[in-house]
Amino acid sequence: MSDHDAGWDDDPELRDRLRAADPASSLPPADPTRVTRLLEDTMNSATEDDVLTTESRETGTHDRSPLTWLVAAAAVVLIAGVALFGFLNRDSGNDKAPAAGGSPTVTELGAPGPAAYQARCMVPTAETLSRQGVAFDGTVSDIAGGLVTLKATHFYAGDPTELVKVEAPDVDMRALIQAVKFEDGKRYLVSATDGEVSICGLSAPWSQRLAGLYAQAFTS
Amino acid sequence: MVDAQTRRDRFEEIAPALIEPLRRFLARRTDPATADDVLSETLLVCWRRLEELPAEPLPWAYGVARNCLANAERGVRRQERVAAKVAVLDRPAESTAGPGQGDDLLSDAMAALRPDDAELLRLWAWEQLTPAEIAAVLDITPNAASIRLHRAREKLRAELRKTGQPAGHEGSRERREP
Repeated sequence: MSDHDAGWDDDPELRDRLRAADPASSLPPADPTRVTRLLEDTMNSATEDDVLTTESRETGTHDRSPLTWLVAAAAVVLIAGVALFGFLNRDSGNDKAPAAGGSPTVTELGAPGPAAYQARCMVPTAETLSRQGVAFDGTVSDIAGGLVTLKATHFYAGDPTELVKVEAPDVDMRALIQAVKFEDGKRYLVSATDGEVSICGLSAPWSQRLAGLYAQAFTS
Repeated sequence: MVDAQTRRDRFEEIAPALIEPLRRFLARRTDPATADDVLSETLLVCWRRLEELPAEPLPWAYGVARNCLANAERGVRRQERVAAKVAVLDRPAESTAGPGQGDDLLSDAMAALRPDDAELLRLWAWEQLTPAEIAAVLDITPNAASIRLHRAREKLRAELRKTGQPAGHEGSRERREP
């Protein structure tokens, strides 16, 4: 430490007196479950898009040539093309139920009861995920009352359907929406056991990392 | 996106050690609801600016929390000036003091100091920071922190002497009228 720090212990008596009046001395330590969730929420609420936006403003984009953008745009088109091709292809395969007329196929799920939120969360692993009966990639198309509807684009596990409806009593649904951060129009990776959506990071907004885990869990 | 994974690993390595001190920092300076909000916000800033985190991240994180708290309080002030005034003048620090409850003399002496001086003393005694660390929180030079801390301590001692009680003694029962 530098000599600037020499002044720290100049008046231990005064410091002790101040410390005796520390209002945080009676503050109990944070619940570990809450800490885990807080960290997870922090990293999820700043999705990769956010990170890219912040970074590009401060660091990245100034010195990128127009060519870079052209290549990037081309890549986006290519990816979109591949995705569309895959999507159409899948439509004709057995991955997705045929949508020929009539009403779309639906998987119905529920929300876990209040007890699930008291449990301690483990960091999601491919192994935990592989035990999920239903797992899919989908975008929320509607949130209303006790019902969240997702358009599924890919099923990792379970019988593929076009829509997934998560229905639960209001209270349970509010807790679930908070835990998974369901928002209209956003893409999610959702898994469920025994017909109930799994929380603790197993269902969350789509991210590269979680998609990697899903792929790992359900391909082996 | 290997980067994303590396970032997460780094954050998960650093952040848990920041949470407890940050909770205490905020509990000392604001009400529980605001403390919760500002804690989330502070962590979010740490996550977004992970690349800027110094080797010793805690003082830096205190600095972030300080700014977030100031923003939160400015917002409150805009919304309800009167309530905010009460919150600033009568911080929970004084009203919910734990074991030190009843050291009115000290609270009065602290309240009589300039807010900057009082904050320096809090960082020194409550967060137990060295002048160099205080400098990192307040974004000033270590030298300036050292000098200001020295002066702030002198002022506090002088305030305490005004009422005839040397530092370290139990406070008198006299109360200043609010």
